[in-house]
Formats: sequence, C-alpha cells, structure tokens
Amino acid sequence: MTVLVWMLVAPLVTALLGAVRAPRRVTEAIIAGGLSVTFVLCLATASQFLDGAIPSAFDDALRVDGLSALVLVLCGFTGLVSGTYGIGYLRRNEARGLVTPRMRAEFAVLIPVYVFAMLLVAVSNNLGVLWIAVELTTLASVFLVAFHNRDTSLEAAWKFLMLGSLGLGFALLGTVLLFASAQGALGEELSALNWTRFMELAPRLHPFTLRLGVVFALIGYGTKAGLAPMHTWKPDAYREAPSPAGVLMAVGMLNGALYCLLRVHLISTAALGADFSGGLLLALGLLSVLVAMPFILIQWDLKRLLAYSSIEHVGIMAVGVGLGGETAVFGALLHMTYHTFAKPVAFFSAGTLAQLHQSSDFEAIGPGTLGRAPVASALLVLAAMFVTGSPPFSLFFSEMMILRGGFLGSHVVATSVFLAALIILFCGFAYQIGRLVLGPQPHDRPGPAPETLDLGLGVTLVAAVIAVVSTFYLPGPMIALIHAAARVVSGGA
Amino acid sequence: MTPNLVILCAAGMLVTAYLMVGQKSLFTTIRLYAAQSLLLATVAVVMAISDARPHLFVMATMTTVLKGFLIPMFLMRVVDRIGIHREIEPFLNVPTSLLACLGLTVVGYRVSTGFPEGTVGVTHHVLGVGLSTLMIGLFLMVTRKKAITQILALLTVENAIFLVALGITSGMPLVVELGIFFDVILAVLVLGVLVRRIVDRFESMDISRLSKLKG
Repeated sequence: MTVLVWMLVAPLVTALLGAVRAPRRVTEAIIAGGLSVTFVLCLATASQFLDGAIPSAFDDALRVDGLSALVLVLCGFTGLVSGTYGIGYLRRNEARGLVTPRMRAEFAVLIPVYVFAMLLVAVSNNLGVLWIAVELTTLASVFLVAFHNRDTSLEAAWKFLMLGSLGLGFALLGTVLLFASAQGALGEELSALNWTRFMELAPRLHPFTLRLGVVFALIGYGTKAGLAPMHTWKPDAYREAPSPAGVLMAVGMLNGALYCLLRVHLISTAALGADFSGGLLLALGLLSVLVAMPFILIQWDLKRLLAYSSIEHVGIMAVGVGLGGETAVFGALLHMTYHTFAKPVAFFSAGTLAQLHQSSDFEAIGPGTLGRAPVASALLVLAAMFVTGSPPFSLFFSEMMILRGGFLGSHVVATSVFLAALIILFCGFAYQIGRLVLGPQPHDRPGPAPETLDLGLGVTLVAAVIAVVSTFYLPGPMIALIHAAARVVSGGA
Repeated sequence: MTPNLVILCAAGMLVTAYLMVGQKSLFTTIRLYAAQSLLLATVAVVMAISDARPHLFVMATMTTVLKGFLIPMFLMRVVDRIGIHREIEPFLNVPTSLLACLGLTVVGYRVSTGFPEGTVGVTHHVLGVGLSTLMIGLFLMVTRKKAITQILALLTVENAIFLVALGITSGMPLVVELGIFFDVILAVLVLGVLVRRIVDRFESMDISRLSKLKG
C-alpha cells in the first residue's frame, strides 16, 4: 500500500483503538500518538508530491495534486493541534467532574474519525467520493456539537444537521447534474466522476445542465463552508461545540469545503469561463463579509464572535478566488494557510477563558480578564491581532495581496466595498476583545478558579509560537506547496 | 407500455409527496414515504429491464430494503417509543400549503424543459416530477414543526434527487451510489438518536421550541 492509503488508515486505526475502554492515560496516548503519525504521513505524502510524483490510489479516485497536498498538510496540522488540546480540555473538565466515561470514549472516536473524513476530502479526485467524505465530516461533527448534552447544544446540533444535510442534498444534486452534463461521455465506472476526467471533457459539457449543477454544488458546499446566506448554523454550532471540535470545524472543515468549492469552480471555469462561478463566489464571499459585520459589532458571546470571524474569513477566501487573477488567487491560498495557523490560538485561548468562567457569555467572563487569567488573555489579544489582519501579522499580508489583486483587476467597486468592510470588521473585533480583556475587575461576583499552566494552555502557547513564526518565516516546501496549489487554481498543471 | 409504467410510478411519487403535505398523522406520513421509496425502486427496475442496465437492479434492491422497509421501521419505532403521533398545526395551513405545492410543480416542470433530454417523452415527466418533488420536500421542511416530519422531508428531497439522477443519467456509478446509501442510513440513525435526546430533554419533539440561540 502507498503512503497515501496509510495516511487514511492511520486515523481510522486511532479511532478503533480509541473506542476500546482503557485507562485515561492510555486513551490520551492513543489520540496524541495516532494524530502525530497521521500528520507525519500527511507530510510524507506532500513531500512525495513535491518530489514530482502524483500519489494516487483506487483508479485515481484519490489523487494528490498541488491543491490537495496543501489542504492535506493544513488539515493534518489542524487535527494534531486540536487533538492534543482536546486532551487538555477533557482533563480540565474531568477535574470538575463534568466528564463521563461515555464522553471520553465519544471524544476518542469522533476526533480521529473527523480527521479521517477531512483528509479524505482533501485527497478526493472523484466528485462522488468527495461528497461522501463531506457527509462523513458532517455526521462526525453532529455529536461533537451535541457533546455537552445541554438544551442549547441539542438545538445547535439539530439546526446544524438539518441545514448541513440540506446543503449536502444540494451538493449531491449538483454532482448528479455535473455528471449529467457530460451526456454519457464519462462512462459508468467509478472513474467516470473523476475531476480530471471532467477537466478533459470540459469544452463538451452541456451548458444549461452544467450551470444548474454548478449553482447547486456551490450552494451545497457553500453551506458547509459557512458562506452567507447559508451560514446560520455556524454561530450556534461553534458556541456549543467544545473548543477542540470548534477548531476542527472552523479550520479543517472550512479548508475542506473551500477545496470542494474550488474543484467545482475549476470545472465551471474550464467549461464556461471564469466569470460564471467566479462571480457567484465573489457575490457569496462579499455577502459573508458584510453579514458578519453587524453581528460582530453587537456580539454578546465570545465563541459566537469567533464564529462570525470565521464567516468573515471564509468570505475573504471566496472573494480572493472570485476576483480571479494570479495575485488574488495566491492571496486566497496564502490566507487559507495563515488562517489555519492563527485560528487555533483564538479558539484555544477563548476556550480556556470560557472553561475558567464556565460560560462563553461576555457578561460572565469580562471585563478585566487580563488581571485574572493573564496568559490566556494575552494569547487571546495576540490571536485577535492575527484574525483582524493587523500588521505586522500574517493575515494582513494575505489580505493586502487579495486587495491588490482586486484593484489591479476589473472588480474595483467590489474590492472597495470589501476593503471598507474589512476596516469596520477590524474595529468591531478589536472593540469586543478590548472590552473583554481590559477594564476593572467586577466585584459583585466570585472570581473564577485561578489559571494554571496545564496541557491546554501549553498547546495554546505552542500554537501561538507557530503562528508568529509562520508570519516571518514559512519553510521552503510550504511555500512550494502554496505555489503548486495556486498553479492548479489558476489553471496550470 | 414501459414508458407509461415509468411515468405512472413517477407520478405516484409526486402524489405521495402531495399526500404528505396534506397529512398530519406521523405514522401515515412514514408509510407514504415507504410507498414513495417503493415507487422509486419500481422506476429503477423498469429502467434496468428496458435499457438493459443491470447495475440499476442493485440500486432498486437497496432502495426497497433500506428506504422501503428498514428506515420506515426505524422511524416508526422512534415515534412509538416517544409516544407522540400527530403533527401539530404547521406554520401554513393545509389548503394554502397544497396551493403553494401546485405552484412549485409548475416551476419544476418549467425548469425541466431546459435540459437537452428534458423537452419530450419519459425524461420530461421524470425530470419534472423529480424537481417538483424536490421542491415540495424543501417546502415541507420549512413549514413543519415536528422533528420526525423534518426528517421525512429531508428523505423525500433525497428520493427526488435519485429520481432526477435516474431520469437524466440513468444512475451514477455503482460504488458512489452504495456510498450514498451508506451515508443516508448513517444520517437517519444519527437523526434518530438526536430526536431521542431532544425528546428526553424537552419532553417534546416540537422543533419550534428550539429557539434559544439567537444573534
């Protein structure tokens, strides 16, 4: 078997071992070990690609090109950090007696299964397999959202599953219509749904059927990505999900869904020109950035604030792809990379504050957290500087690149609106974090448990170091991967 | 003879969708869904014979066993165990809903004429019915309050997508279809578990009570 297949087998084995009832330490070691092995295998697969091979399996149903390799490495990284933070998260809750053995087992199975589904999305060349993998991520995350079994978590899980399944229904219809637009030229074997086959046949696809298919597929996968107006599940799900699962959704699923959108966009571009699906992505992305604006300004909950920030960022990436042109596309992929490194810090530090105060409500946490939990608060401020795109941090550069691409291209009005929205979002987010972290200590209620430097906080610190380092220095192979992905998206090899 | 049989079964699926809109008993709605799935299986069998496409037999068998019997039985057990048998007043009353669905059917047929195969003959009807059923399913989903009815609406949408797939491509590659079946089963199980948890917590499966999360 090839490295590619082993990379998919590793998280599945981890999940199976995690299901076995074992002492806590053993389960923790299995999760951390399994996810580390998975990440190493992801890196190995990507390095095979960089050495000039195109790793593939099962009749090209799984195939690693530049875009896949980039998403693969990012998803593997996300799985590893959220898994290890998750161990710390459970330990903290355990100290408070909130964790039942059932919950620990659920966690040990669901996180690796989720990682498996994410990686399967990243390497799918077959649109059918892609759909199945995305559905798997949805099903795995439902129980993660419902994890705490509160009234609100069940509500969030129900909304998430209903909207998610509906979106996937649309995506399935889109896939059927894309398949139909070839009018039988693709054949009937498994390889008939291969993305590469679609690209070969692109000029001969039937335009009406294809357009309809592209619209349905973009709406469907856009629901998973959380693009407005299909974003409504996101704030609820992020608030209720434990923070490690939140990262898997906000970074892993977001990258995966963006990968699906890009594949559909590329088929559409090859057949109909860039304007059709590019215009749709630009509109949806701009709408997402605009929708996030008022909700960030009036937000009352820390985790929901992060959810709206995630809607903003997927919007930014969609705008980058929609604007088209080499600069904007490269900016979008760079943004995806930087976002993957920065977002975990925000989720983990916010999760630590929420766990200390046993609520993610601004009223319950703030103001003045800097005095009570200095490390977590400082990390949250750092993360806020990242996600708002403040200089000198990484996301500032990728956003500038997208803006530059936009002003150089033909969408000057859209880019201006986009720029204005980014500035307002910056102010809103900074205001919210400021009123949480600064200010006098409240005297009317008992303070929370003191902050201790435990595993969760340690992982957050490591993630913060990685985020800062990635701003100033990306390793050569990583840059090569981003360039390879940009070549795929702007229509090269 | 064969085309007529296909059209008859497809039309039957549309009729079951309409009956679901007009129906408040949860058990009857589940039975209507089962009937709809069996009609879908019949369409697949007829097409398998007339177009000599043996892999459609596999799909027909899966549809019959899973969607015709297993999923309905599972849902009935869920309804039985939680002891709530009737849909409460939907957000829109029945006559208005039926009129709205009539409009959706017209739209569905209109869209189906845009396809290269969709202007005449069997495909025209299969596509028209498929798209109409799809929209009626979506309509059911937004107007009903009970968790079980929402699941059934989702499954109806899924049936409609399969009918469209049959009409327009005579089926996706087999492996992909099997994967989709597997996912559907998994989704229904997950939904069932979630409904039980919701009922345990809220002592109701009225989805309109799930309205705490805003902003």
